[in-house]
Amino acid sequence: MKVLGLMLLFVGVAGLALAQTAPAPEIDPGSAGTAVALLSGALLVARARQKK
Amino acid sequence: MGDTDRQSGVSSCLDHVEVKFQPASSIPSRSFSNRLPQFGLVHRLIFFILIFGIEWSPLTHIVHKGRGAGELLQVAIAFVSLLLALAYFRSKDSFYRISAKVQASPIRWSLLVYHVAALAAFITASAIPDPGGLLGYLLASVWYVAGVLAIVLAACAFVPPKAAVEFLRSTGYAWVYALAAAVIAARALVATTLWNGRVWNPALDLSWKPASDATFTLVNGILHLFLSNVVADRPTMVIGTSSFKVQILPWCAGFEGTALMLVFSVAWLGYFRREFRFPRALLLIPAGMLVIWLANALRIAALIMIGVAGAPNIAVGGFHSQAGWIAFNCVALSFAVVTRHMPWFASQTTGARTVRSSRPTLAVPASVPNPTAAYLMPFLAILTAAMLSHAASAGFEWLYPLRFLAAAAVLWHFRSFYSEMNWRFGGLSVLAGVAVFGLWLGLDMVSNASQTSALGNSLALMNTPARIGWLIFRTAAAVITVPIAEELAFRGFLIRRLSSADFDSLNPRHFTYLGLFVSSIAFGLLHGDRWLAGTLAGLIYAFAFLRQGRIGDAVVAHATTNGLLAAWVLFGGKWYLW
Repeated sequence: MKVLGLMLLFVGVAGLALAQTAPAPEIDPGSAGTAVALLSGALLVARARQKK
Repeated sequence: MGDTDRQSGVSSCLDHVEVKFQPASSIPSRSFSNRLPQFGLVHRLIFFILIFGIEWSPLTHIVHKGRGAGELLQVAIAFVSLLLALAYFRSKDSFYRISAKVQASPIRWSLLVYHVAALAAFITASAIPDPGGLLGYLLASVWYVAGVLAIVLAACAFVPPKAAVEFLRSTGYAWVYALAAAVIAARALVATTLWNGRVWNPALDLSWKPASDATFTLVNGILHLFLSNVVADRPTMVIGTSSFKVQILPWCAGFEGTALMLVFSVAWLGYFRREFRFPRALLLIPAGMLVIWLANALRIAALIMIGVAGAPNIAVGGFHSQAGWIAFNCVALSFAVVTRHMPWFASQTTGARTVRSSRPTLAVPASVPNPTAAYLMPFLAILTAAMLSHAASAGFEWLYPLRFLAAAAVLWHFRSFYSEMNWRFGGLSVLAGVAVFGLWLGLDMVSNASQTSALGNSLALMNTPARIGWLIFRTAAAVITVPIAEELAFRGFLIRRLSSADFDSLNPRHFTYLGLFVSSIAFGLLHGDRWLAGTLAGLIYAFAFLRQGRIGDAVVAHATTNGLLAAWVLFGGKWYLW
């Protein structure tokens, strides 16, 4: 739950940070969903591996 | 110390000591203060802050704020706050022990009387106009001494100096970190023009040009390692070669990545604070930010080299938008995984557990797959492949087959785990899939989701074998790997994982409404501007799964929808649905 909670927090804050669109963003808001889902899943797998 | 001990420590710190009031004749030598309940460190600090706040509020209207005291006070407040936070995380045992000692000593009311006297002197000195010259310096000295004395006397009234010194000693070098952070924070607030009551946005503030310059210099250095004809114009921040150049704009200079890394690292250390050793673990925050900043310089250099190599469209169209997230995910994941195995940063208990877990045990053989990995890895493989194929594309995702192959490889890897799952399905799951197909098309007609796509034109430009091959992989992914991977992740894993960390031991039909809705909304959000249709589809697939607790039902429902959509796209030319 900690990882999920953390990623929820992260998405919220990052959403605010990325709300302003730049003409050529370093971090593309359009790919945020895929990227955050990938990071969340990878962290869940890594944490589960450590607990095993 | 166990949890029980720690709880008792909290109790001694926060709760009042029960004082039995006895007849005055039986305790002839007791003072007034001994008759009052005694308070621990936390309560006394709250009293101190309250007094400070009550006095400070009117004082700011009476006393002029010159002579630089305001900034000093900012530093002092930030320093004390940080020191207390660091000390608490560094050594809770010492914190509670000192709190118990403070609790045993009475509040020194006499010092509070002296505090009021010092405060009166401070206000008087403030009221006298500055005469200038030597007298002016003398008056300013009295003003400073009286102000500091008023604060110190109030602090000593609540916290005995001996306990304060012991507290400082128990924190080791935490005071150095706290002081440095307080000075930097105060200077940052005063010296920059960024904080003007609006959201802090350094990327748009050109006063941070030195950071952009540093990025430019680093990119220039990296390019010179690989290219001989580098063109770099610092005033315009244009860099590249005569055949391909880019301009490093302020918002591309690494600010977004470092800001994201700052948020992530602070949140990670906060959530998993028991696994780290503070305050030294705080060094990981600037370290992570530095690494992501370096990664951004590498991203820009790689982008230029891709453009120079003859693929400017891929450099600007795909790589530019994907590489930032790829770099951030790599750095954030490394931060979370690697730092936990660094003994210097990890707490002792975590380190011991890590050492133990590194030994193979008879109870959990290494060959037993991690259930979380088995449920999530196919989906993660698709996401990873999608990011990489987008990064290597310029609009049309010609590497789409990579998604199918990556998911198929992971599914094959975990095949023994999946063989024990229930893959049977009933006719209702097919009907559910058809219902979602109708829902998807219906919502698409009434929504403002994009109904244009360049996919058809891009496919028309390909030669026939390549086009047929691409369409076969695209259809196979839609009907086979995507339904299996997404149903394993969202229905098989997430619904139950939101109920329990030991999700795999739960009955497959077990669910909570929180898990049901969160998993469905997450599934919907991954479908972009068709999020509503995605969320409703997620709910229907979830009901298909939970009805019998069979993953096969959800997969078949999903595959039916995707199969019908594929037919709709291929035979109706509705490329925007892909």
